[in-house]
Amino acid sequence: MVSQTEQLLLALMIGVIMLGMGASLTWRDFFRAFKRPQAILIGFASQYLLMPAIGFSLAVALQLPPAIAIGLIIISCMPGGSTSNIFTYFAKGDLALSVTMTTFSTLAAFVMAPLWIFLYGSRFMTSEISVGMSSVIVGLVVMLIPVVIGMFIRRRNANVGALLELLGGILGVVIILALIALWVPRNAPLLATTPWQVYAAAVGVGVIGFFFGFLVSQGVGLGFRRATTVALETGIQNGPLALSIVLLSFQGELANEIALIPVLYSLFIVITSSLVTVFFRRQNELRQQYVGALL
Amino acid sequence: MTTLDLDQTTQVSARSAAPAAAPAGTPVSLPFRHLPDMVDRTCERYARQHAFTAVLPNGMFGNLSFAHVRRDADRFAAFLREELGLAAGDRVAIQLPNSLAYPICAFGVLKAGCVLVNTNPLYTPAEMIHQFNDSGARVLVIVDLFGDKIAPVLERTGIEHVVLVRLTDRFSRLPGFVAYNVIKYWNRLVPACTAPTISFQEALSRGARHLHERSVDVAAYTAATSPDDLAVLQYTGGTTGVSKGAMLSHRNLLANVAQIEERVAGNVTHGAECPLAVLPLYHIFAFTTNLLYFFQAGARNVLVANPRPLSNLQRAIENYPISWIPGVNTLFNGLLNEEWFADHPPPKLRGSIAGGTALHTTVAERWQRVTGTPIIEGYGLTECSPVVTLNPFEANRPGSIGLPLLGTEVRLLNAYGEAAAPGEPGELAVRGPQVMQGYWQRPEETAKVIKDGWLLTGDIAEIDADGYLRIVDRKKDLIIVSGFNVYPNEVEDCIAACPGVAEVAVVGLPDAKTGEMVKAFVVAKPGAALTAEQVREHCKQYLAAYKVPKAVELRAELPKSPVGKVLRRELRAEARVTHQEEGGVNG
Repeated sequence: MVSQTEQLLLALMIGVIMLGMGASLTWRDFFRAFKRPQAILIGFASQYLLMPAIGFSLAVALQLPPAIAIGLIIISCMPGGSTSNIFTYFAKGDLALSVTMTTFSTLAAFVMAPLWIFLYGSRFMTSEISVGMSSVIVGLVVMLIPVVIGMFIRRRNANVGALLELLGGILGVVIILALIALWVPRNAPLLATTPWQVYAAAVGVGVIGFFFGFLVSQGVGLGFRRATTVALETGIQNGPLALSIVLLSFQGELANEIALIPVLYSLFIVITSSLVTVFFRRQNELRQQYVGALL
Repeated sequence: MTTLDLDQTTQVSARSAAPAAAPAGTPVSLPFRHLPDMVDRTCERYARQHAFTAVLPNGMFGNLSFAHVRRDADRFAAFLREELGLAAGDRVAIQLPNSLAYPICAFGVLKAGCVLVNTNPLYTPAEMIHQFNDSGARVLVIVDLFGDKIAPVLERTGIEHVVLVRLTDRFSRLPGFVAYNVIKYWNRLVPACTAPTISFQEALSRGARHLHERSVDVAAYTAATSPDDLAVLQYTGGTTGVSKGAMLSHRNLLANVAQIEERVAGNVTHGAECPLAVLPLYHIFAFTTNLLYFFQAGARNVLVANPRPLSNLQRAIENYPISWIPGVNTLFNGLLNEEWFADHPPPKLRGSIAGGTALHTTVAERWQRVTGTPIIEGYGLTECSPVVTLNPFEANRPGSIGLPLLGTEVRLLNAYGEAAAPGEPGELAVRGPQVMQGYWQRPEETAKVIKDGWLLTGDIAEIDADGYLRIVDRKKDLIIVSGFNVYPNEVEDCIAACPGVAEVAVVGLPDAKTGEMVKAFVVAKPGAALTAEQVREHCKQYLAAYKVPKAVELRAELPKSPVGKVLRRELRAEARVTHQEEGGVNG
């Protein structure tokens, strides 16, 4: 569905974007995130308690066929994707918290992802699912190294840092638009033949994740900015990881069927995240502190 | 301004606060011949160090070394004198937010032997026209963000030349180019400007050409300048509401610099400080503290153009070793409410200086707790260049405005202009080398506030046994919104011109956010369908935002004295009862 060169190009661009994201951060931002571990804990809980439960409930409620359901379970048990960082940046959320949560959930995925896939998936299918974690680590490194380099660059020269940040931001928007623009026509036949329940599940798992992630965070008083961060982190899953797990564990027609929701999810999450981000950004801007003219 | 009989002040026996360290009336020796001399000697001494760093909200910055400040100021001075043909004493209006161009222009004007007219960039064309006509400014230096105001102003003033400045002027090439285009095309903050202007960069290069090709000597422009020559016209409403230019001489300003130095000595390391300049440099507070005092101390001023929202300050505070923050109550309070600031206060911070409005004790205490450093509160006014009193760093008394500066005498006068009884509050009168020469071309106004060298501040103060002063109340009806003076007369004049308005009275009410807020009581003409919103809309057209009434109440009549004078005091008392806000500006 995505060619090798496209994947490479994508990884490269993500690298540049994360370089820019890093250039907007300082170590203090991370200290601040750790100083309030409740945000990290809430994020962790909504990632690995809420999301698998949402995925499972949707599969049951929509009466999805087993293969499709497994795809949904897999995507809902994934750690946060690095795109959550990009959207958090655009939403003027707490980027350091987002990066921290993505890192933690990715590391925890070694245990949590197979566990939840087994627990919820066994209801639909009993086959062995191998979760290839090497790609996860590569993904995490691909994300974190440029972030650290970006932080370093900003420290050395704020002008270069700001330029990188700008470049990363522009590239981020370009990629989001390009993903949608390229993906839709190419997969038009697939989109046309997909039943509504599958759509509902693919779109719903992300949107419901946003909703509850936000609700829970607001409920425990994390504040709007952190709540937006947790919401995006919860709803946005590591789609490519889900795909690689499917392709590693299944073959042939079955693999295609199981991959359906991860594929659809990856498309629609870009669209829904963009919409949510526009809303969150405006709200976060309104919540900035404006003091009257100083003198 | 007051009911006090000014003739009696001369008979008052001076009851001056005389702290042991600084005997009142001690002559203050000037550290420099005049301001251009200060610029030259400071720039020679710290040539290679950073003098100014302008920081944008996204962290992009531009640096100016002391050597470059001097070079560019010389070029600008040569441009004014050789290219535009200005003479010594001519007025040049500068209407810039904090940016690298500001010090170059301000010092350039002074080096040209001209008089600097500081102008608030947020002024409306009507306010600009008054100020430029009153000062007789021939040249205007203005930021392009307000370029749309130039054309209407040019028609109605004697401004002959306009220099247009970009916020990113003097940034290095790529960051400057990118930042300018972000401001212009993404933020869309640069309006079209139809008036004939010359760019700041072009002005500098023309000045440079004169310097090099005709070997012009900039020092010659001020060779004959005496310390008592006029340096700056700093506009203030004073007490009557008509904006007047306080005439500040080289001596006034340099004396104030020396007085501040004496008070903070030992806590400011020359050549090693990094003060934050977030208060606007066109305001006398930052002008004297940041642009003059810290500059001559070899400090690196970190300039922030726009502190709204406050997160705009984050990169400036994170990326530079900020050691001093001159500020006002709202700034300190706002910063404490920012998580990034409260969690990681500037590690190199040594102290902060508060002025403008009363510093709330709660804010001062929280600041000390969070940053581990004190806020030193002082008191000043435009007419005093501006600092009159400042707490000593080692003997800081929260709630007090401190002790009079070196060579500054203070008196407290009762309602009859006599010395107030010991322990009693009275109107603060000031005498010292920082007291202005008078109001520009307004001898009657000057005579009202300066009597035998004593400046009547219009503020009621108390003095304790140790000589520490405390401001009790404001004598005038003056409203202070976030440190800005708002003169009820001016706002009333404006509202009175609004169609459908019969009568109006404006008062200040306590406001948790801005210290005080402007409230207007309006009586509509019979049959006129006037709304509060219409009144506010009308004000927005003619008045700077901070002067626009936050609340407008329509009512049937205004309380008046037997002779028909509107009783603002009564309105205020009445409004305060209904107004739930508690604790006034002196809280």
